[in-house]
Formats: sequence, C-alpha cells, structure tokens
Amino acid sequence: MTRWTGATNGTTRGATTGTTTGTATGPAGRAAPLVAERLTLAYDDRVVVHDLTLEVPAGSFTVVIGPNGCGKSTLLRALARTLRPRDGHVLLHGRPIAEQRPKEVARRLALLPQSPVTPEAITVADLVARGRYPHQRVLRPWSTADAAAVGAAMAATEVADLAERPVAELSGGQRQRVWLAMALAQETDLLLLDEPTTYLDIAHAVEVMELLARLHEEGRTLVAVLHDLNQAARYATHLVALRDGRVVAQGPPAEVVTEALVEDVFGLPCRVVPDPETGTPLVVPRRPGPRPAAV
Amino acid sequence: MSALATRPAPADGPVRRPGHATRRRSVAVGVGALLVATAAGLAALTLGRLGLALPEVAQVLGGGGTRIQRFVVLSDRLPRVAVGALAGLALGVAGALLQSVTRNPLGSPDVIGLGSGAAAGAAAAGLVWPGAVPVPVGALIGAGIAITAVFLGSGRGFASPFRMVVVGIAVGAMALAFVETALARATREDALEVAAWIYGSLAARGWDDVLLVGAAVVLLLPAALALSRPLGLVEMGDESATALGVPPAHVRTAGVVLAVLLTAAAVAVCGPVAFVALTAPQVARRLTRAAGPGLAAAGCTGAALLVVADQVAQRAVPGTPYPVGVVTGALGGAYLAYLLVREWRRASA
Repeated sequence: MTRWTGATNGTTRGATTGTTTGTATGPAGRAAPLVAERLTLAYDDRVVVHDLTLEVPAGSFTVVIGPNGCGKSTLLRALARTLRPRDGHVLLHGRPIAEQRPKEVARRLALLPQSPVTPEAITVADLVARGRYPHQRVLRPWSTADAAAVGAAMAATEVADLAERPVAELSGGQRQRVWLAMALAQETDLLLLDEPTTYLDIAHAVEVMELLARLHEEGRTLVAVLHDLNQAARYATHLVALRDGRVVAQGPPAEVVTEALVEDVFGLPCRVVPDPETGTPLVVPRRPGPRPAAV
Repeated sequence: MSALATRPAPADGPVRRPGHATRRRSVAVGVGALLVATAAGLAALTLGRLGLALPEVAQVLGGGGTRIQRFVVLSDRLPRVAVGALAGLALGVAGALLQSVTRNPLGSPDVIGLGSGAAAGAAAAGLVWPGAVPVPVGALIGAGIAITAVFLGSGRGFASPFRMVVVGIAVGAMALAFVETALARATREDALEVAAWIYGSLAARGWDDVLLVGAAVVLLLPAALALSRPLGLVEMGDESATALGVPPAHVRTAGVVLAVLLTAAAVAVCGPVAFVALTAPQVARRLTRAAGPGLAAAGCTGAALLVVADQVAQRAVPGTPYPVGVVTGALGGAYLAYLLVREWRRASA
C-alpha cells in the first residue's frame, strides 16, 4: 500500500488480537445479536470481503471504519441481507439470517440505506407508516399499535410537524430524519445505518449523530458505517477498523484509534489528541514536510 | 433538538392510517372513471344505425323489446362495451404493474413491444397455423416471447427503461411485420377479421370474448392488488424493500408475469390497442397524486379510456367507423413523444 503500512504493521496486528478476544460478547455478557461468520462477499468475480468474522456486541453502538473500497458498506449490506454472501453466513440471534422469514427478520433488524429512493408524491407520515409493513397482515393493515409506533418514531426524529409535507420538498437533513423515522417505526432492537451523515452539512450531521446516540442510550443496538473518523471515535462504543476486507482492529475507540492504526489503515500520518469536548480520540492529520520539533 | 423528550405521545382518537386523504382521492378517481365508462357505455347502447332511447334499452335489458332491438343490443353492442371495459381495465393494470417494476412510465406493455408480440402470437394461432393452439394461448405465447426478447436484449433486464424502449421498438416492429405477413397469406375473409390485430379493434365482439377477458380479470386482478403494497415498497429501492421484509426480485417477477397475462388476455380479444396501458396509469396518477403503483385507479381509468375512445372512433366521422386503436394510437402517440423527449433530456443532462 503505502510506505507507512510496512513500518507499523507488526505492532498494530499484535494489539489487535488482544482486543478482539476481549469483546466477543457484550459488556453485560449477553450473546451478540448479530454475528458475521466467516463471510466472503463478492460482486461477480471481485472478492471484496474475505473470510471475515465479526460479532456485534449486544447494546453497543458499533461503528465500522476504513478507507474507501475496504468493504465496509459491502459488509453492512450483507448484515442487512441485501447482499447474499459468497460463503459463510450472518447469524441473527443465533440463527442464520437467510433461513429466517423475511418479515420476521424485518421485525428485528432495520436498515437505513445510503441512498433510498423517495417515491413520487409521498408524504412524510405516509413514508414513515411504510416502516410498519413487517408488523402488518393482509387482512389487518392498520392498528393502534401501528399508529403509536409511527407517532413515536416521528416524535423521536422531530418530523411530526412535517407529517403532511411531501418528502421531496424537504431539505437533506430533514429527509434523512424522515427515513430514520421509517426505520424506527419498524420497532426493531437492531438498527443498521449505511453512512447516515454522508450527504449532510456539519450541523445536520451532528444532529443525526446526536439522535443516534440517544437511540443507543434508549437500549437499541446500532451498527453504522461512517466516513468521518472523529465522528466514529466520538459516538461509537465499539469500533471496527476494516482494510482490504479484513478486520484490522476492534474495540473501544480509545484503544483502536491510535496514530499507528490510522497510519496503517488509512495510510495517513496523524496525531491523535483527546477531543476537548468529550475526551475521545481526535485525529489530527499531519502536514507533509519536516516534523515540528516537539511532538 | 431540545423539545424532543417533551413531545407528547399522539393523542387518542380515531386511528387513521396516514395517507387517508390520498386514498380517498384514489377511490374518487376510480369511481369517477367508472362513471365515465358507464356513460360512454350507455351512449354505445343507444346510438348507432338503430337509434334507441334509454327506456328502450332498459326494456331490452329487462327481457323485452323487439327481436331486432334484442339482437342489436344483446349480441352486438353490449358485448362490445363489456369487452372494451374489461380489456381497458386489464391494460390499465398491466401498464401500472410494469411502470412500477421499471419505475418509469416508458416501461409500458405497448411501448416495449408486449402488445405487438401478443398480436403476432394471436395471428400465428388464428391464421398461420389455425387450430394448433387457441388464439388466446397464441397471444400469451407471443407476449411471453416478446418480454423475453426485451429482457435479454436490453442486457440489464428491467433496470434500464430507456434500453427497454429501444429494444421494445425493434421487437414490436418485428412482431408487426409478422402480423402483416400472416395477413398477406390469409384468405380475404380471415384477413378482415384479423386486421384488427394490427390496430386493435372492438368490432364484432361476442360473449365468448367477454368471458375470456372477464375470467382473466377476475382471476388476475386480486393477485395484482395483493401485490400492490409490496410493489410500492420495491419502488423505494431494493435495499429498503429487503429491509422491510419484501424480496424485490420475487415481487418484480410476479409483477411482470401478471402484466404479461393481463396484456395477453386483452390483446386476445381486441388486438394491440395502442397506448391505453401507457396513458391510463399516468392519467390516474396525475389525478390521485398518490404514491405507489395505483393499480385500481389505473384499471378504472383504462376501462374509461377504451370505452370512450371506441365511441369517438365510431362516431367521429359519421358513417365511417374506425378501429379504436387508431384513436388511442393518435392520442397516446403524442403523449409517448412527450415522454421520450423528456427522458432523452434527462439522459443527456
């Protein structure tokens, strides 16, 4: 890869092994609700993820990071069963996800895709209500439980005031909260998010991340793919670093986000300092050229 | 973000599914379209060479009237109206299904050569190898071959509507060439009857035609309606649909199969009437302003379109009835041109 990789490879790998075994089950000792077992993922002939095993700790806010093309979104798609693995399988609550009924899975696992298609002319309330589909039957299409779930989801994401507005008229940040509300209306305890802040400006991105943090505090297990390392380090409870389709390191952000790892995974020389707001690791890229005297 | 925790839970009261107003509008559009179809149908029963007043028609329908009146109404005009309404409904639903699957108005049975394919199959069964298979089965086989050709020829399945149109034009042209060849070889008597398969016509329809397309509608419409919500979810993208527990590939396949069956049934009784399947769902969508495939409203609108167009075709030039397909072709062709220009701009932008 780059010259930085070779220099730091050994130390990172060593640190990684210890962290991995330590977090096989969640902090409370509960079994991992979502497990990737020896996954090999490929598009046609191009293998993106090879023989990857990963456990999502119960109750965690797990964030997957890594450079472009490392397979993090592909991994998330496999976890959300929108991509069929070439080999290996995904276990949801201990059972292979592919063997479970699609609607049953949808009552336990929700997904916020990276770029969902907004149907023409749909209103906010109507879109959020579609999240209730897995809970409905042909002859009983709408219930008080559905109405309550939709109301709660719109309240949590603060889109209740927009209920009758067409989704197409909303700003990017509002639209993202509406799609999140739809996923919340599914009332699952697992929520997967594929780069939920990518198209948002910094204020809206922070707003969405704060919302996710609150959903996590309320007891949901979240798995997100994020681009922004500092966002990941600030909000994650469990960080997974991916490179070339392999897990390079995982564990609490403070253990994973180190200068050596960022150089190894992203090929970026940097300094890692404590975030003045939260104390979590903050990645500050170095300028190329002569190093400053005092580090 | 601060007001978040204090927002009250939704108040008690009658629980309405969101989109209530939209659904009410959809029902209104459907009912309105059926009223239009009924009015046009009544016009069809009363007008013509043998002019009848409404009370006379009522008498005939009640079992009275003269022999000539009974023949004209019961054996000629009524089956014609019924075939028009049912075939229009089938085409409207088929169009809405395919437009939903392709997420594009251009993905319609008539634009992608499905109707012409069915006509070629019908012509083959009726003229080239008479007696080999019944005409409706021929239409189904033709439609099946056409959709397969489009699916394979576009290279990306149903993912690229614009490619489907280009391939569909070629498939449609070949199918029509086949129909014309079949006509050229046929005896004059046969050819007159089968000429309808080029333009689409409701002339000389009988109760067996009503039975055929009616049975298809009765059997296939419930299946299509059951597919309506999953189709609406698949319109949000494969990932969203999967996350909600809907397998997108299965839903798409089911939608295409139903569209092929409905198109074949309609074409078997009235030929490839142009552009009803293209325009009916679009007209319905403009009126209902609803999200989702809108199958029921599209079906009702299709029924109204075909019955009204048939009246226009018969009465526009007094004494010279035209095949209904000429009228729908002229109107729908203009709309198709508009869609193609819009799509072309979007593609090259």
